[in-house]
Amino acid sequence: MISQTEQSKHWREWELHRAVTPKNLLVLFVVFIILSFSAHNTELDKAAVETSKAVLSVVGIGESQVLDGAVRFVGKAFPIQIAERTPVNRLIEFDRNNLPLFSYVEQGEEKEYDALSDTWSVESTEYLVQPIGYLKKVIIQMWETIEMGFWGTVICIMISLPLGILASQNYTPHRFVYSLTRVWLSFHRSLPELIVALILVLMYGFGPFAGVLALAIHTSGVLGKFFADEIENAPPGPQLAISSTGASAFKVLRYAVFPHVYPAWIAYVQYVFERNIRTATVLGIVGAGGIGMELKGRWDVFDYDHVATILLVIFLTVILLEVISQKLRKRAL
Amino acid sequence: MLDFDSVSRVYDDGTKAVNNVSLHIKSGEFCVLLGPSGAGKSTLMNMVNGVVEPSSGKIKIGDLEFSKQNKSKIQRRIGMIHQQLHLVPRLSVLHNVLSGLLPNVGLFRSLFKSFSFDDQRRACELLDEVGLEEKHLSRRASDLSGGQQQRVAIARAFISNPEVVLADEPVASLDPAMSRSVLKNLKTAAQHHDATIICTLHQLDYALEFADRIIALRKGEIFFDGHPSQLDKVTQAELYALAQPQPINMEQQAA
Repeated sequence: MISQTEQSKHWREWELHRAVTPKNLLVLFVVFIILSFSAHNTELDKAAVETSKAVLSVVGIGESQVLDGAVRFVGKAFPIQIAERTPVNRLIEFDRNNLPLFSYVEQGEEKEYDALSDTWSVESTEYLVQPIGYLKKVIIQMWETIEMGFWGTVICIMISLPLGILASQNYTPHRFVYSLTRVWLSFHRSLPELIVALILVLMYGFGPFAGVLALAIHTSGVLGKFFADEIENAPPGPQLAISSTGASAFKVLRYAVFPHVYPAWIAYVQYVFERNIRTATVLGIVGAGGIGMELKGRWDVFDYDHVATILLVIFLTVILLEVISQKLRKRAL
Repeated sequence: MLDFDSVSRVYDDGTKAVNNVSLHIKSGEFCVLLGPSGAGKSTLMNMVNGVVEPSSGKIKIGDLEFSKQNKSKIQRRIGMIHQQLHLVPRLSVLHNVLSGLLPNVGLFRSLFKSFSFDDQRRACELLDEVGLEEKHLSRRASDLSGGQQQRVAIARAFISNPEVVLADEPVASLDPAMSRSVLKNLKTAAQHHDATIICTLHQLDYALEFADRIIALRKGEIFFDGHPSQLDKVTQAELYALAQPQPINMEQQAA
């Protein structure tokens, strides 16, 4: 009855769909202009030019700044540094007859730079070489990084569990508390770890704790919001069944909501843990402990062979963690 | 035991779900509520359980009158078997049954699922009564068959020693053989624990077989109330017609 006038129209006169219209073209054009400006701002055009130069330079045409940089790094990075070489005269307790296991003494030259006269002086010294000494040091620091990620996740859980419950619409004690915790959680989410770590290093001094807390603060915002949303989406039936026995809200949460939320929550905690370890590797750059401190130190003195060792260890650790957590996830669910 | 004193319930949209119902249900009775969809069976049940409040009239359980203040006190004296069971799927059978005891368990104990051995033994006894075995104890509720889940729900309803057990369509999703055995379980459990049962059913056959008392509802009013043997042929035929699932009338829906 509503479409009386339209039905009177013959079907040949019905309006058909047109894919290309002046309006579409105009929108496309405007979007293109805006994206072009944005790309110029982010130097995408320059990057394209430099990359093409690098490609040309590989086959021997012209010179490229990009390729030079890569060559400078790769040239010094290989072979990677696994052994630890320490000048003997810098060791306080050096006993030539009682060397550490597998290590030996080597003759070598020590270069020293004199800034006043701008000259290099070369001295011949003895080095104590520990064949896998540096690798061991890096692995120990990587372990510290993993521990940072672990405690960051633990503190994150301790913050996000109560906040998540307060921020779920059906279990919050009051609407005001709900809004407050939601805002609080998004505040936590909006703080990048590196910046929090910078501030915390000021407060707690250099060391892993600043990093742990920085990780916990950022990820608790993520985990807390996820937890709150999962609580809100839990099926109402079992909750009704348990609350109708006269049980309190806390017990309903424990018995009807948590068992439902648990598997997804575990998967999310695992993701947070992995992410925390990956992030913990860079937190050292601002002095918040972990392998990043060593990385930054070596990078600044152009020890690219040491950097290569560190990168390799990080890479292998992340892969290993992913494999382990995949297996764990399959068992937990 | 359970008294309805001229109870009515009018919903916000003006439908009179229950209209001036007065009932006296004796302790230990197996009452079956019959009637087509929308006759007010669920509303009547939900009023006993405190989920829905009566618009007028009084409901008393023992000498305790229903009100907002003693809602949880009343709920502790009532066991409930829901139509969709509402077991917690990822919780073990044992803990699903024990969850009926939660109001009496301390906060800290409940947090760590640390129920006393007495409580656990009681749960085992009930599960054995409804025909489940030890191997089912640690299984997740979602791993059981429909009939087994129904038995777990019965055990959960009885674990708190309720005076009244409400069963909302307990056999709606089961085949006839399973339905009979579940109803038998329900009845023996009720006799064993001396509990009053109020049960809604769609099938008159089961009602005739198991009920001590049939209460038939039509448009919110009682039109038959008595022992199955008191049913005359005419009422029985009428009940049959009422209990059948009604075909959905498209014209009425549209209007």
